Amino acid sequence: MTIARWLVAVAMLLLGTGCATGPKYAEVVSTLPALDPSQGRIYFYRPSAFGAAVQPDIKLNGVKVGTAKPHGFYFVDRAPGDYEVSAATETEKKLTFTLEAAQQRFVRLKIQLGVLVGRIVPELVDRAEADGEIKDLSLIPDPLK
Amino acid sequence: MRHPRIRTARSSWCPRGLLSFALMLGLAACAPEVVRQPAQLTPTTGASGATIEVAEEASVAVGTGYSRVIRRGSVWSRVGRLVQGEVWKPVGGVFTVEGAHIHEAYLVLDGDRVVGFYLPVEHAFSPAPGTPTRLSVRRRDP
Repeated sequence: MTIARWLVAVAMLLLGTGCATGPKYAEVVSTLPALDPSQGRIYFYRPSAFGAAVQPDIKLNGVKVGTAKPHGFYFVDRAPGDYEVSAATETEKKLTFTLEAAQQRFVRLKIQLGVLVGRIVPELVDRAEADGEIKDLSLIPDPLK
Repeated sequence: MRHPRIRTARSSWCPRGLLSFALMLGLAACAPEVVRQPAQLTPTTGASGATIEVAEEASVAVGTGYSRVIRRGSVWSRVGRLVQGEVWKPVGGVFTVEGAHIHEAYLVLDGDRVVGFYLPVEHAFSPAPGTPTRLSVRRRDP
């Protein structure tokens, strides 16, 4: 088998496995629990299925809150303060941001080519951009499972 | 029938090409940390600060190989002051700077020149390298 065929086979494998299923954001957004005004909400979502086999843990201030499941989203409610999101594969990429009371933040989990495996880059995006990307993604109701 | 010289050329090119590709990806993973200097933000007093609207898009280097675009029409609210200049936070949007990691950031302006960024989580100032970029803005004082 040539190198080109191997690369195509690996790409097909990475594209087609392990995507989130279930109700879409657009279908469930009105049924999500109301945000306590003393808290902020952080959404995590991964819009791309490329590199689907790469699903590292996503940590918030060092504590796992879920994984980077393709085509899925989930959220956590937290007290206002400073936060650090991290995702580790062959390297660790971190994102730091502030969270205010009643504020909603959106963290896109972007796949990036790596040397040996892909890596997940957490990016802070604004609401308008997130709304366009998250609407067709599936809710992961229990992201720690 | 293949010419043996051609086969030799291909077999030596492929590993070299793959090596170059791997090196390129490896270098992409080795972006330096965003430069940080400890900074003390003096918050704006009063209920609301001034705002500015960017009149012309501008690109500002971060100093890590990355640059950031300040979009035309984006609105920024004054939240305080550093020794280096006034600190402006985006209104209704997000702004980040990137190096080895990504940090939420506010603009630091000395007059109309972008002198750097304030990182609110790290409580740090990150200077913009080179000649400061002039930002065309419309000011709206409270």
